[in-house]
Amino acid sequence: MEPSISQQTSPGLVEPVKPPKSQSPWALARRKFLRNKIAMVSLVFLLIVCAMSILAEPLTMPVEETAKINLTQMSKEPSAEHYFGTDKSGRDVFARTLHGGKTSLLLAFSITISVITIGTLVGATAGYFGGWVDNALMRFTDFMMNFPFLLFVIVLKSIFIESSTGTLIFVISVLSWTGTARLVRSKVMAEKENEYIMSAVSIGCSAPKTIFKHLLPNVMSTIIVQATITLAAMIVAETGLSFLGFGVPINIPTWGNMLQEARSPDVLTSKWWIWIPPAAVLTFTILSINFIGEGLKDAFNPKSNR
Amino acid sequence: MLQYTIRRLIGMIPIIFLISVVVFSLAKLMPGDALSGKIDPLNSDPEYIEEMRDKMGLNDPIPVQYVRWMSGVVQGDFGDSFVHKRPVMELIGDRLPNTIILGIAALLITYLLAFLMGRYSGRFAYSVGDYLISAFNYLALAIPSFVAALVAIYVFAINLGWVPASGSIGSGVEPGTLDYYLSKAKHTVLPALVLGAMATAAYTQFLRNDMIESSRKDYVRTARAKGTKESAIYNKHILRNSIIPIVTLLGFDIANLFGGAIITETIFTYPGIGYLFVESVNARDYSVMMAIAMMLTILTLIGNLIADLLYGLVDPRIRLS
Repeated sequence: MEPSISQQTSPGLVEPVKPPKSQSPWALARRKFLRNKIAMVSLVFLLIVCAMSILAEPLTMPVEETAKINLTQMSKEPSAEHYFGTDKSGRDVFARTLHGGKTSLLLAFSITISVITIGTLVGATAGYFGGWVDNALMRFTDFMMNFPFLLFVIVLKSIFIESSTGTLIFVISVLSWTGTARLVRSKVMAEKENEYIMSAVSIGCSAPKTIFKHLLPNVMSTIIVQATITLAAMIVAETGLSFLGFGVPINIPTWGNMLQEARSPDVLTSKWWIWIPPAAVLTFTILSINFIGEGLKDAFNPKSNR
Repeated sequence: MLQYTIRRLIGMIPIIFLISVVVFSLAKLMPGDALSGKIDPLNSDPEYIEEMRDKMGLNDPIPVQYVRWMSGVVQGDFGDSFVHKRPVMELIGDRLPNTIILGIAALLITYLLAFLMGRYSGRFAYSVGDYLISAFNYLALAIPSFVAALVAIYVFAINLGWVPASGSIGSGVEPGTLDYYLSKAKHTVLPALVLGAMATAAYTQFLRNDMIESSRKDYVRTARAKGTKESAIYNKHILRNSIIPIVTLLGFDIANLFGGAIITETIFTYPGIGYLFVESVNARDYSVMMAIAMMLTILTLIGNLIADLLYGLVDPRIRLS
């Protein structure tokens, strides 16, 4: 039967059968990620947290209002008026949690972007050029790695009298790009041995062009996964530092600053509504980011077939 | 190995020198000095302060001050604490045992929990228990240590009242008695649990994956073929091989523990190195701050060296050179 069919159909009449369109690695990764339930739930959760934080002002009150001390409303339990109750200065905990989320997440995202940028630039430069450039940059990276993170963030932070969020971003970034730099370097070193890089160089691509147009897109998956891990770590770093009093100035609501209230035994013992909300949101946000990171890692890994 | 160790140690000297320059410069960059805030409130006469500055050598050129500080450091003398009015080394010597006790207790908890969980997960991979264990580890990885500490204090110290919430020793106990050690243990267990139990994720995952991988190897098949009991295969054959690589993580942990102790000790007001550090930064007690910064950085260096050495020790295929 089969041959006759093929004889009957003349090539001009039948649409040529398209070979199944091969998917780009990105499309494959996207499909794999979309099918990963835990990662998707986490992503939705993270988006909700982000959206609520961004919309903190229309949803509750302007940020100046959250700082207002209200002596008539001190330490009120959760009610219809104050969903999460009020803290010891009569400030609405719900509004502060949302505004705190805005500051904490914005800071974490900014720090992550700057950490990943520095790390990628250093790593890609070292990996691509090799030789003495690599040697010098990596020696420097190794040297920076010796400094215990928390300790030196505190020391650096104390240098600036005007403590603002900007100095915090700077201080944390300076101390945390090393891991990314090492990772990107090793990936770039492996990738640059491929023929397409050689051909790019041989047709006269300049070094920056080769790195940005040809090399980095191919190590992007690694960088993205690293960025998610960094994001989670930076939320911890920011809140931890604020909690210790070395982070964001205390008058700005952040999750860390809100948790600082729990350092007074009275709040910790009998006023759970003041510290449980930021603690819970903080933990679940980090958890969801970790799951998203896992999901991305899985999605980008051609060997995994989940 | 010995040659390698010696070479690495010698290689550390210039790095330690550079670190000392960084630490000293940072301390000098900090606004104010020990005298600007913490002086005797009854005597704020500017002339007196100036005189004190002169006496302490704070008006000398910076390089001179550095050389003076560094020559002390080389001899193990970090100067005097301005706040505590005692030699820094004495002060640290007082606090260090607390941090070491806390660190060892935390490490033991980490290893014990990770061993038990990893062994179970590795043997019964993809079972309900395995999923529960990995859920715990995901949670432990996500909870920031200070949140974990707050929850632990809330549950165990306040609601259940099993252990005290702060300090490292009860009041009025005589050193050396049984009560003293019991009180010490009671005060240490909660911070150690927070430090230790939250760090199990990496170890558990490591052990689990290694055991799953090993269980597909030929020697395991051989053991099965000759009729060895399943429990013996896991406990004797696989576990012995899988437990070794975990040791290599120890080196990195040494420095991490001291770093992590900063937050945990502060929350529990546990008088160790980490808490002392936060206190000294807040009080601008530079000599103490610089001493702790130097010590912990050198500890990181040594921790990395130990990790490398352990790698070579555990896996003879790795040549240290």
